[in-house]
Amino acid sequence: MKLIAGVDIGNSTTEVCIGGIKEDGRIRYLSSCKRATTGTKGTLANVSGIKDALEEAMGILNKSVNELSLIRINEATPVIGDTAMETITETIITESSMIGHNPSTPAGAGQAVGTILYMEHLNQGKAEIPYIIAAGSETTYEEIARQINQYSNRLNIAGLILQADEAVLVWNRLKNKIPVVDEVKRIYQIPEFKVAAIEVALVGQSIRMLSNPYGIATLLKLNGEETKAVTPIAKSLIGKRSAVVIKTPHGNVKENILPAGEIYIESDQIYSVNIDSGAERIMEVLENAGTIKDISGQADSNIGNMLNNIKTGMGKVIEETDRNIKITDILAVDTLAPVPISGSLAGETCMEKAVGIAAMVKTEQLPMRKIAEELKRQLHIYVKVAGVEAIMATLGAITTPGTTLPLAILDLGGGSTDAAIIDRDGKVKATHQAGAGELVSMLIQTELGLTSRHTAEQIKRYPLAKVESLYHMRLENGGMHFFEEPVEPKYFGNVVLLHPDEMIKIEEDIPLEKIALIRKEAKRKVFVKNAVRALLKIAPDHNLRSISNIVLVGGSAEDFEIPEMLMEEFANYKIVCGRGNIRGTEGPRNAVATGLVLSYAGGSHGNE
Amino acid sequence: MGMNKPSILIYINEADPDILNEVCAGIEEEGIPYEIFSKEEMDLEYLSFNSANDSILGAGIGIFGGKVALSLRSLPRGTYIYYLENPTDSESRNIGANGARAVKRMPFKD
Repeated sequence: MKLIAGVDIGNSTTEVCIGGIKEDGRIRYLSSCKRATTGTKGTLANVSGIKDALEEAMGILNKSVNELSLIRINEATPVIGDTAMETITETIITESSMIGHNPSTPAGAGQAVGTILYMEHLNQGKAEIPYIIAAGSETTYEEIARQINQYSNRLNIAGLILQADEAVLVWNRLKNKIPVVDEVKRIYQIPEFKVAAIEVALVGQSIRMLSNPYGIATLLKLNGEETKAVTPIAKSLIGKRSAVVIKTPHGNVKENILPAGEIYIESDQIYSVNIDSGAERIMEVLENAGTIKDISGQADSNIGNMLNNIKTGMGKVIEETDRNIKITDILAVDTLAPVPISGSLAGETCMEKAVGIAAMVKTEQLPMRKIAEELKRQLHIYVKVAGVEAIMATLGAITTPGTTLPLAILDLGGGSTDAAIIDRDGKVKATHQAGAGELVSMLIQTELGLTSRHTAEQIKRYPLAKVESLYHMRLENGGMHFFEEPVEPKYFGNVVLLHPDEMIKIEEDIPLEKIALIRKEAKRKVFVKNAVRALLKIAPDHNLRSISNIVLVGGSAEDFEIPEMLMEEFANYKIVCGRGNIRGTEGPRNAVATGLVLSYAGGSHGNE
Repeated sequence: MGMNKPSILIYINEADPDILNEVCAGIEEEGIPYEIFSKEEMDLEYLSFNSANDSILGAGIGIFGGKVALSLRSLPRGTYIYYLENPTDSESRNIGANGARAVKRMPFKD
């Protein structure tokens, strides 16, 4: 029996399928495996990943790689995806003037206005002025309470700001009950002798006065012009449990609209659209533009730099000059990004408007032949570049039980969303769209303000749960799960991800519901939008109803909720849509690699 | 013993006063009631296990000399959420805070 291997190099994974060809020409599928793609798709760096994958797949059969008589590599579509994100607004505070945060236990609900006075200057206080006292953590809670009690006979002390987490401890010992805000880390950056307003929310509520521009105006006696200036502060304090706003006469807070710039879409003519007009408008212009030759951005604007970076980055990888690299598709998505406010006291952030963009770069040809030659040189096995990726994927997809022609496939990958339709005569029409799994990860990372992309990828991949006791957790679908042994204390009360091997604790303090909502929205914004966009392009008469079957393949088709989202969407068009099951065993993976083996047996081996 | 008030119980024997003070401060800051009882048993395991089991809230802290341990009712005897010998002030404060957080179903402080 002759052994041949099909190898599919994708943006994120390299997949291998090993088939045995019997004397009568029939195929037996023997093994398959997947590995992370080494380097960018289409570069020589891929070779080491391919070799590892081949070794693993042959290892399953207890054979070595050199027993292969042929390796078939896909003629990869010369598209590479990349993503970028740009905020289009920013908030600047030119003088430190606010603290808005969520200490778990502030004390004494209410609001207070007064002049900031450091604890050690209490003896300089004047009787007629209301004060807000700021106390550092070097003084014990007992001492702070004692001094405030002592001076409250002589001075008008309206509120208290603490550095340590001791608000309740101090408040319990005060004779006059006043609002106390605690856990202000950089307490000595609060400017002394300036007028400030503090607020602590009622139990179970968030602050009301300082998150409202007129509330701030009332407390700090602001005029119309000044009220306008504090609006960004009020906006960024929404939902907080406690806050401090300091009136700085020369301070200035403003919301800048960054010069986001125009996108130029070049087809038969050049269409231009401003980033400010939002993702929906950008996509509309893009759809009406027809066949796109290139997309670029206004020079020296954010979008211009962003698209240039994508081109230069891709240029480095595939060793072509920027001129030859054309962006042929983008997917723009509206999003919100928590951006640190420049000039804030405690590292506060503000949700700024942003646009996330996935771009697809088309090059003349990916150097697959170079990869094939290098592989041949290293392994001394005949390597052939065979077959167009879309056709191979469709061939592989047909091995899913229950499929008939005509058939559409949606290849949900890491870098791009590809679609192909194969009609009754076996003719294939294919398209590639920018935006897939990697854009989803980027959106999750930005909107949740995560520091690591890795965490965002894991949130994308696994369902959530909250550990409610040492013995049970509440799953995101409302179910309960009980543990045999008490869970480790570090998980207690935390939101976790249900990785099959172990629970992953989410370090950031974000409610489960918010994470789940953002995750689902990101997937919908990218995959549902792109699936419809792709199929409309290749459907007969551009009518989705003329499609009867869709098979989902590719890495993101393994996701635990994306296939269901697409099924719901396409049910509206009476289309049978589902996750592929390649060869009845592989799930949605391995379609291209399988297609490569299958096409060999399909008669092309005569000319090898 | 007639203890029906919902509170975290602290069972002590010859407790280091600094540890006790900080543990109490930790619980107080989190806003949960607590009660202190002096016991005769010379055994941290006993103090900790029984305090948790006697507490209506199911959380208890044992302090024996310079040793302190936080237990929950659901845990088997001899296992603790936290156990420390001669803790620093801030470690003692955190044990108290985490006892309260266990009751509030909130993540523990490190």
